[in-house]
Amino acid sequence: MNMLSRVAERLFWMARYLERTEDTARLIHSYAHLVMDIPRGSEPGWDILVHILNTEPSYNEHYRAYNELNVMKFLIAQPDNVSGILSSVRAARENVRTTRDVLPSEVWEHVNELYLYAQEYSEKSVGRRYRYQFLETIIARCQMINGILVSTLPRGHAYRFIKLGRLLERADMTSRVVDVGAAALLGEERLHSSVDPLIWASLLNSLSAMGAYQREIGPQVEAGAMVDFVLREGTLPRSIKFCLNGIRQELSPLNNNKEAIRLVLKARRKLSAFDPQTCSREELHIFLDQFQVLLTKLYSAIDQTWFMTAERRATATLS
Amino acid sequence: MNKSWKNYRADAFYDELIAASGAPRVAARRVVKLLQSLPEEEMASRRAAAELAIREMGVSFTIYSEGKNIDRAWPFDIIPRVISARDWAKVSLGLAQRSRALNCFIDDIYNQQKILADGIVPAETVLDSSNYKPQCAGVSPLHGAWAHICGTDLVRDQRGKFFVLEDNLRVPSGISYMLENREITKRVLPELLENYSIQPVDDYPSRLHATLSSLSPREQRRPCIVVLTPGIYNSAYFEHAFLAQRMGAELVEGNDLFVDDDDCVYMRTVDGPIRVDVVYRRIDDDFLDPECFRSDSTLGVPGIMRAWKAGNVAIANAPGAGVADDKVVYAYVPAMIRYYLNEKPLLASVKTYLCMNPKDRAYVLANLDKLVVKPANESGGYGLLIGSASSAAERAKFASLIEENPRNYIAQPILSLSTAPTYIDELVEPRHLDLRPFILQGKDTWVTPGGLTRVAMRKGSLVVNSSQGGGSKDTWIVEDNR
Repeated sequence: MNMLSRVAERLFWMARYLERTEDTARLIHSYAHLVMDIPRGSEPGWDILVHILNTEPSYNEHYRAYNELNVMKFLIAQPDNVSGILSSVRAARENVRTTRDVLPSEVWEHVNELYLYAQEYSEKSVGRRYRYQFLETIIARCQMINGILVSTLPRGHAYRFIKLGRLLERADMTSRVVDVGAAALLGEERLHSSVDPLIWASLLNSLSAMGAYQREIGPQVEAGAMVDFVLREGTLPRSIKFCLNGIRQELSPLNNNKEAIRLVLKARRKLSAFDPQTCSREELHIFLDQFQVLLTKLYSAIDQTWFMTAERRATATLS
Repeated sequence: MNKSWKNYRADAFYDELIAASGAPRVAARRVVKLLQSLPEEEMASRRAAAELAIREMGVSFTIYSEGKNIDRAWPFDIIPRVISARDWAKVSLGLAQRSRALNCFIDDIYNQQKILADGIVPAETVLDSSNYKPQCAGVSPLHGAWAHICGTDLVRDQRGKFFVLEDNLRVPSGISYMLENREITKRVLPELLENYSIQPVDDYPSRLHATLSSLSPREQRRPCIVVLTPGIYNSAYFEHAFLAQRMGAELVEGNDLFVDDDDCVYMRTVDGPIRVDVVYRRIDDDFLDPECFRSDSTLGVPGIMRAWKAGNVAIANAPGAGVADDKVVYAYVPAMIRYYLNEKPLLASVKTYLCMNPKDRAYVLANLDKLVVKPANESGGYGLLIGSASSAAERAKFASLIEENPRNYIAQPILSLSTAPTYIDELVEPRHLDLRPFILQGKDTWVTPGGLTRVAMRKGSLVVNSSQGGGSKDTWIVEDNR
């Protein structure tokens, strides 16, 4: 089956935005859940969510204080926040709207319903009363869409670029959750370290890795073991290693895949050489930073090789 | 009978479902009976279900208004329009006949021009028209087919007789709505379809695929077919995507395609360039090829006309086919049928006054209040004057437009369009409607059973275009087993 470069690009981004929607919802969900467990005064603050999503400049345009209501509004219902739920859902829908001819028709129907749902309820779900239900529904709907894709889409190019988009976004999100989580928790200035295990557990939850961690490692969540687990446990679907393996697998049947594969292999080597159990918080941060740069390069390689048409390349060099 | 139907009266018009006696027509008897027996809340809840289905299926059309593109849900009336298979069989033959004659005409015009030489159609009406594309002269597409997909608008007069209102030969749209309308009826009024034998419509995409395949310049088991769309902001984008998906064809935009040095058309894919055999284009001639038509077009494909003329790619509808989609040429279609096919026209045309003829013009100018005046080559119901509903100032404006450019205007008597019961707010009321069947012309000719029924939702209105507040109905061709 043929796959237009333009369509491949839109499918890739549809998957990235769907993944971003689900990941952001998970992150807010587990963090908000956690905050209820922590005594007043010890909570690490709502700004951590904005830092994880790396959207401080956009946040500061709209809000001053980092309180619960502002942050929730920004992440759930702000139409122009590109990592927020509402705008991610809208972007996913736009990409499906222009590629629905290559997808099973239920995909369009469900993405459209997801959009209509987010459109109608996001504003009302900023407060604690309805937020939980809203996030659960968003996550469930994303999972349903992924389920349809996995169970109905033939394993051709369409599926391949969707999977590439999903895994790249997921690897990116996982590395950010770890990086910012570590920064906030391993900082010297905080005193209430008794709640730290709770926060680590919450981050594990946001990567839906808590159950797996308990079975594999044990009930006590420790920083080093937890980081190692979400970075390098190859069987865990949200671990970085799992994502890289999946990307490698989808790249291999494509034409002209040399550069992209080179970058994936490089990322994999770096990951195996790194030991989260013994590193300092500074080393972890530097590692994750370099790792993010690699992911960005990998995206450019995919973009240049399979998405960028001759015209776009010409106009890009002109401007 | 539920209250919504109580005061239903079709007045002086032909009503599609209810006879003058007030009893349902034979073919519609069971539909009407069932709908009348539904409690009022049930009618309302079915309508709500239809609206929900439309939203979920994402059936939409885009209108351009106030500088913004707005995606509107498709307006749908839940009461189907029912036509008996016997009536339809005659109409269908007439449509096929008409399509054959029109294709002969286009092929003749771009080649020998016999019909002009024989004085059947005045040469200047054709050759001076902006729809005549000299760039197409000398091309002979496969099977002599130019207008591969034709959407012909039909209306019925007060006696129920069908008339052709116009033939849309450029890029007619509406077929996806016809298919979705049936889908919606099946979802929300399933019991209506019980015990009825209704001709199915959903094989249209495979018929279209077969027609397009028959145009392929290469002998191949599976020719490469693409649907060329102007993009997401086009009002019919939904339909372009719909048809591409149902046919298993690629939906492409202009910059997905390019013409190489070998004068063949290719599409850019993740595996590299792939040669294209048939382009079902949904963009107008003027935007098709900046090398040949409008040089500022960014929607088209530079060089595609070169590839077409070299016989390396088929374009449907063929460039230049619009020469027969002109309200002046319309007046000559019965003559064409006699000339090319040596047959009697099976479908009536509406009496048409050509303002370029002095006698007709004088009549039109004297009777503006009794006529509909239309520009010769506009579509979408824009720029027309409905005499009976016009002000003196509007009539004066049209009088001077006609004097200025008589070739560009025609006039027709105001038809009493037929009506059908339509569910408006809480009541079922008569609304005017038309019908757009689609005729496919490739190696074979094929006519859709029924078509897209468009209905003017405003009371008394005759304008059915969706861009101007029109709605639509599912259209049933049923076997009348009395």
